[in-house]
Amino acid sequence: MTTGTYAAEALPRPRRSWLPAGALQSATWVLVVVLVLGPFVPLLYASLRDRPLYEAGGVFTVDPYRQLFGDSAFWHAWLNTLGFAALVTAGAVVFGAAFAILCGRTDLPGRKAYSRLVLLPILLPSLGMVLGWIVIWGPGGYLTNMFSQRLHIHTLAIDTIPGMALVEGARLLPIAFLTCQAALGRADSALEDAARSAGASPLRVLGSVTIPMLRPALLNAATLIFTLSIAALGIPLLLGTSRNINFVSSYLYNLWTSAAEPDPGSVSAGAMMLLVVATGLLLIRNRLLGAEARFVSVTGRAGRRELLSLGGWGWPLAAVLAIYLVFTTVIPVLGLALMSIVTVLTPLLAPWHLLTWSNWQALGDPVFRRSIENSAIISVAGAILATALVALATLVAHRSRFPLRRTLPFVLLYPRATPGIIIGIGFFWTYLVTGAIGDWFRGSIWGIMLAFVIRNLPFAYVVMYPTLARIGEELDRAGRAAGAGWWMTCRRIVLPLLRPAIFASFVLMFVEILNDYDPAVFLVKPGTEVMGATMLSQFIQGSIGPVSALAMVQVAVTVTVLAVGAKLFKIRAMGGDDA
Amino acid sequence: MPEIQVENLTKTFGEQRALDSVAFSVEDGELFTLLGPSGCGKSTTLMSIAGFQQPDQGRIAVGSDTFFDADRRLSVAAERRNLGIVFQSYAVWPHMTVFENLAFPLKVRKLKRREIQARVHETLDLVEMRQYEKRYPHQLSGGQQQRVALARALVYSPSVLLLDEPFSNLDAKLRERARMWVKELQQTLGLTTIFVTHDQDEALSMSDRVVVMSAGRIQQVGTPEEVYRSPANRFVAEFVGRVNLIDGVVASADGGRLLVDVDSSHRLTLAAVGANPVAKNVTVAVRPEALTLLAADDGSINGTNTWEASVHTVAFLGDHYEYDVNAGPLALTVQSARRVDGDRVKVHIPPDACAVVADDS
Repeated sequence: MTTGTYAAEALPRPRRSWLPAGALQSATWVLVVVLVLGPFVPLLYASLRDRPLYEAGGVFTVDPYRQLFGDSAFWHAWLNTLGFAALVTAGAVVFGAAFAILCGRTDLPGRKAYSRLVLLPILLPSLGMVLGWIVIWGPGGYLTNMFSQRLHIHTLAIDTIPGMALVEGARLLPIAFLTCQAALGRADSALEDAARSAGASPLRVLGSVTIPMLRPALLNAATLIFTLSIAALGIPLLLGTSRNINFVSSYLYNLWTSAAEPDPGSVSAGAMMLLVVATGLLLIRNRLLGAEARFVSVTGRAGRRELLSLGGWGWPLAAVLAIYLVFTTVIPVLGLALMSIVTVLTPLLAPWHLLTWSNWQALGDPVFRRSIENSAIISVAGAILATALVALATLVAHRSRFPLRRTLPFVLLYPRATPGIIIGIGFFWTYLVTGAIGDWFRGSIWGIMLAFVIRNLPFAYVVMYPTLARIGEELDRAGRAAGAGWWMTCRRIVLPLLRPAIFASFVLMFVEILNDYDPAVFLVKPGTEVMGATMLSQFIQGSIGPVSALAMVQVAVTVTVLAVGAKLFKIRAMGGDDA
Repeated sequence: MPEIQVENLTKTFGEQRALDSVAFSVEDGELFTLLGPSGCGKSTTLMSIAGFQQPDQGRIAVGSDTFFDADRRLSVAAERRNLGIVFQSYAVWPHMTVFENLAFPLKVRKLKRREIQARVHETLDLVEMRQYEKRYPHQLSGGQQQRVALARALVYSPSVLLLDEPFSNLDAKLRERARMWVKELQQTLGLTTIFVTHDQDEALSMSDRVVVMSAGRIQQVGTPEEVYRSPANRFVAEFVGRVNLIDGVVASADGGRLLVDVDSSHRLTLAAVGANPVAKNVTVAVRPEALTLLAADDGSINGTNTWEASVHTVAFLGDHYEYDVNAGPLALTVQSARRVDGDRVKVHIPPDACAVVADDS
């Protein structure tokens, strides 16, 4: 105890910041809300006009809706879509949950490796994976033919609705897996221990405690998977066409691109309907989850728990899982790789007789080269933009007194439920009705980048929020008490602590934007091609070899970036529940 | 002068009243404690003073500065209140060294480098943490982190110090030492301090004055002795320390003595009357350590407030014994320094140790 005059040496009060916190918070809120919800306004408008917005004149009408609803093919497409989505959901949820329990609660051999490998399908480029499936398991696919000709075994035709559901289900299974894994991690193992002490066998505990506890997680995963599968575009376009199976998304796409009589009004009307359905599902999901419980991340105490012994079943089950992974992930990727270096992939001739570099050399063609360059640019720029925007918005949503802050999490998560084609069409109209600014966006790659950024905002948020929630609020209150304003506290205290999540978000955004394609389908022009959209259009035109090479580029970049990112920044798979 | 005035503070969360007309004033240099169980509103009150919560009604002023006034729609931002605060979790910024933690508030105030260094060192000397200035928080123990948090709250000479349960994360031994140390520091600096705790020992041992809160309301304000010896109501009596509560009916209120009938054979004599008319139902509070326990055949105390009792349980607690005894309708807990053998004993309640307590407001 030294100085007695201590308290008397008053210091100047901290000066007011030149940037009022309120202005920054309002600007962030407005930007997010306008970018996410804004494009729906022109979409709604376009669906209520008697002619496309790019034609002069026009009056309000409900004709587009009448016309669309009068088309039996549209309702047939809905039926297909719902059947497909139901199958996808059932399969992905049942097997995702089973895998999660096997990896999390039993002594399955290799469960740690499996719980990582099983996530691969959702991280790999979705369009590329569909192409891989087609090359291997499609009608005339490599293994399809080999099995039927050599072994006389007929594999499931993946160009049927159950077949397409298998492809999409395999892609979305990780969502169910992650959700259940998180729920299992959160669940207090004492609940299960109590059942054991009460005399229940391990299997009984699984049936009467563990699985019932998973019920909310299962419902949550099911709604999300259902919503996502309704929006699938690549699968019906690439697999459904041969048997003329249309989904709502592919129906609208065909209506949009049909050379004979494109009908943007009806397409907009259909997109509005899809939007209403998806929004309804999102609201149901929020209700199911209640409050913010949905964001609780994988933070279960790593208490030592006794694992359920599988006994003699361990190795057979591990083998089943291995076969599943080989057939749904490894083989399609290998198929793509093989396809990219041969002239034709056929069981009649050994691949090494057909080797060629021409597919890879084709990537030097202007369209492919531009696609790669454009994708690279917008992935980096978009990932930076998305990460910055979401970091700021997350701070406003959870660390400010901004009056409308509670609306932000919903807005940030909303694009998750919005099918990519709706975002594509919405931005198309938005650029069209916003004059010179819109023209500039429409004519450059930045228009596509913005659509991709908005589409993938939820991923950045679900990575950012759990980390922010773990940073005690007292840390920033201490900053405020010390005299720093809101922005200075964010900049000097919260953001530095959020750094791991910011890097994780950047890596994830980069990969997601690199591999995204469906919003771009409505926005590309010569000169603004991006990889996904090019793959889709070139594949439909039949140049399968170069497209496979392009897909391999995506796969290689994705795997490298994720592996390096995971190593550097310890990214957990997709941050939390909402994979 | 940093005299803190809190007037008519009210805040509701949905249906629930977190604060209900809370009012008090803290004098310059005083260590003032908000005491109560969790959810009583003490932290809400503190956070309202700090500026992290907005009350619905009321006024908060420190010296001549009004920080909050609902009527004038005035609320000074937390960062402009110039208060020092130590949080329950300490909130020492994990990405900054001890030095950087203390330097931050000074950088915000645009002090020059040399000034910052001098002040940080002076303050670190004050809390005896100078040798740790280059360490990061995770390299410090809980007690050391607490000192850093306190130093950070003091380094910019705040007008008032706010302490939000600062000892609850320390283990019992350390807690007692930290208490004495903080009290000494507060007195040396003469800093007006508001301290929030749910621990009555902390409140009694450190405070100049204590406010006991419950359900968003102030139950009693007073010195530790006042609150302990003459609790204003049942809640205060039960929350601060341990207490025997005896229900009865006033039989007579004459001559400076209050006679309370517990039943036909047990009449309690109190040394003070208060506003208690005959036939009123009253509750009498008496602390366990104020009771005297005697062997059944001990004749040293007889007469007033002395009854035969049967021993229900005995517990040895190191420095004393604790007896639960029944004297007719009276179930009493007694602290006795001596061991008293036998199932039958005598219990004596000194008339001046009894206080009539009001029902909860």
